[in-house]
Amino acid sequence: MDYIYHILIICLIYSIFAQSLNLELGFTGLYNFGHIAFFGIGAYASALLSLKGVSIPVAIMMAMTIAGISGGLFSIPALRLSGDYFGIATFVFAEMVHLIFLNERDLTGGPMGLPGIPRPDWIGSGITSLPLFLVFAFFAAFATFLLLRRITNSPYGRALKVIREDEFVAQALGKNTFIIKTKTIIVGSIFAGLAGALWAHYITYISPSDFTLQETILVLLCVVLGGKGTNFGPVIGAFAIIFFGEFIRFIPIPSGYIRFVAPFQGMVYGFILIVMMLKRPQGIISEARRSSPKNA
Amino acid sequence: MTIYYVQLLTNGIIAGSIYAMFAVGLAMVYGVFKFINFSHGELITWGAYLTLMFSSPLFSLPLYFAVIPALVITVGIGLAQDFFVYRPLRQSNPIAILIASIGLSYLLRNVIRLCWGSDLQTFDLTLSRGLIFWGIYITKTQILMMLSALLFFGILYFLLTKTLLGKSLRAVSDNMELSSIMGINMKKVTCTIWVLASVFAGSGGILLALDTNLDPMMGMNNLIKAFAAVLLGGAGNIWGALIGGLFIGIAENISVAFISPDYKDFIAFGLIFILLLFKPRGIFGIAGGVR
Amino acid sequence: MLRLENISKRFGALEAVNDVSFSLENRGISGLIGPNGSGKTTLFHLITGFYKLDMGNVFFLDQKISGLAPHVISQKGIVRTFQQTRVLPFLSTLDNLIAAAPNQLGENLLPIFFKPLKVAIQENENTQKALSILETLELIKLKNSPAGDLSYGQQKLLEIGRVLMADPKLIILDEPTAGINPSLIRHLVKILKNLSDQSIKIFLIEHNMPLVSELCGEIFVMDSGSLIFSGTPDEIQNNERVIEAYLGRKA
Repeated sequence: MDYIYHILIICLIYSIFAQSLNLELGFTGLYNFGHIAFFGIGAYASALLSLKGVSIPVAIMMAMTIAGISGGLFSIPALRLSGDYFGIATFVFAEMVHLIFLNERDLTGGPMGLPGIPRPDWIGSGITSLPLFLVFAFFAAFATFLLLRRITNSPYGRALKVIREDEFVAQALGKNTFIIKTKTIIVGSIFAGLAGALWAHYITYISPSDFTLQETILVLLCVVLGGKGTNFGPVIGAFAIIFFGEFIRFIPIPSGYIRFVAPFQGMVYGFILIVMMLKRPQGIISEARRSSPKNA
Repeated sequence: MTIYYVQLLTNGIIAGSIYAMFAVGLAMVYGVFKFINFSHGELITWGAYLTLMFSSPLFSLPLYFAVIPALVITVGIGLAQDFFVYRPLRQSNPIAILIASIGLSYLLRNVIRLCWGSDLQTFDLTLSRGLIFWGIYITKTQILMMLSALLFFGILYFLLTKTLLGKSLRAVSDNMELSSIMGINMKKVTCTIWVLASVFAGSGGILLALDTNLDPMMGMNNLIKAFAAVLLGGAGNIWGALIGGLFIGIAENISVAFISPDYKDFIAFGLIFILLLFKPRGIFGIAGGVR
Repeated sequence: MLRLENISKRFGALEAVNDVSFSLENRGISGLIGPNGSGKTTLFHLITGFYKLDMGNVFFLDQKISGLAPHVISQKGIVRTFQQTRVLPFLSTLDNLIAAAPNQLGENLLPIFFKPLKVAIQENENTQKALSILETLELIKLKNSPAGDLSYGQQKLLEIGRVLMADPKLIILDEPTAGINPSLIRHLVKILKNLSDQSIKIFLIEHNMPLVSELCGEIFVMDSGSLIFSGTPDEIQNNERVIEAYLGRKA
């Protein structure tokens, strides 16, 4: 039973992470391949603050803010770039952040990471802690879903799609695409930070190796598989991917073959990405073709 | 004291020539097909691992023989990438091909992990004895690296300027539609590009593995340096990529004198960032073309 | 209303636009003609901020607009279409228009949460406006179809509709009738004349000579990046230099 709670919590955390990426990638067409950086910043920020004695809700809020500010600072130079180049910049940014996590031992504990991250008091660490954390994660995920849906169903969300489809037209229609894109990245980073903070407080131990390219690919997969540009798609994608990942563990595998499991999973993930792009690029849930805010 | 800097410079040139080999293939593919091949790094890794395989028990070929089947298979992988994944996606949304290339890279990398495990491996070598020239320490392998790079680039230059195929290549990178209307054989050119990219990347990988070690992440780790080199030289510009690679190699190694070696990679990253911001068309300002 | 002073733009060795100066009269429809490659579209990009001027200035209502970002210029009342139709294919026809409404409060994040009523009211107004424009364009039946499903001619009309949503002062049209059938052209002409009657200034690029003569009060002619002549349709038709530009020099 505990194990089910665990999977569900991870699914919920990833669904927040995936939705935040979807806002940038799916709705606005920003190729953010470095989103894990903000997840990691959120995780470290919240962990460090709570280890210094800050109460957890406050730590999480501050972590979200820090992640959002990082996103904003990053986007000021990065948004000067178009398409592919922006993708490279995000990729590089994530590597830089990873390097910092790894090397700034005094701050982040270096490769050893940060153990002993506290769980919220009311959750504690006893028998009931998992179901309670599940409730916590569920509320966070639900709130995220509602908030992001509000944003994407509004004129702002529509403007994002215009920018995604044709940025010149957006400009010709009087929209300040730079500001809009910056705001989007900030919001995306805030929620990535939330996901990261939740992760830190759940797993209670983080290290730089939790925030690498591997995780970027995982979350990309969630968005791409589930359906980019839709509200529920990334949630489905997150559940699907995480379940698949964990499901493998239930299959009895002779111990001699255990070391093949991870690479095999990796192959499957890579394969799914390729096949999705070839056969069904819109994902499981495809964006409704006439996507209007709930009015006309 | 200057000897120290000359040593760093030498190390830089050695590293740089390998980065250049990695960057050239990336630049070519971008120049003609107009997308960044995230899976380029895996050609590097596969070249190295295949050579390891052919020179180890089961095949036990001598090293210089082993590289041949290794490179042939690497080329096969490169061509297969194009045939099965990139060609069908050529007309699609650019993000699709980028994501597919990320997926491909992940797939290829994990096949290596599956077959060879994630631990570091090395070639069993006697080549790597060091020599000293005028106070500079350099290994035979490293000399081989520089000479190979020189040879490869020399052949490339010849190919591009003196042969019909090379000229077709340049035409296509300039204007693909027009070229095909003018009767240039697109299939042949496409093939050539991938063969060249695979050979350069694979060979670079082999040389790198000879000098250091093998690791499933070696392609990915160097991909960023290759990106930086391509950007420095102007995306799509082959000779720019060459110079870019050298520049990064040198900059990285000289920087060791000033900053902690842990942050050596930061140089490439930082360079990319600065370049993208101020000179997205590269130092040479030429944004395209297999010149 | 619109004044260009010594506008120049070059791309490498190519002088795309070379020292062009003119002023649009405040009323009526003005036309820009010239052989292919004469720099007309480049000129439009320069006016609307999509290209940066190498030299010269553009003034709109006596305010300098050269050097401003395209979205700022758009907000000042200059709205344009592009040579290739650029409707948003995955949005519905109706949404394509609503998206074009200017000054949408709901396009900012905070009002979405803190002023939802105002946002909803504005959205409603914009929707009504879009619907009425669709009626005028006779596209109302297609309001929920993805814009990508419309015919080429219908898409061009939709683009005009998009321009109208923005309550423009000056409309800049790049080959509005290219590729559409004669009956749609008549429809479009009617709409343009209507707009002009409502004191909206129109400046268009066209290749359809009879149309230009019918619509435009003044015409500017470009060739190889320079302005070679300007005048009324009658003056243009009889001008040797203009004829030469289109037909090439006599051997």
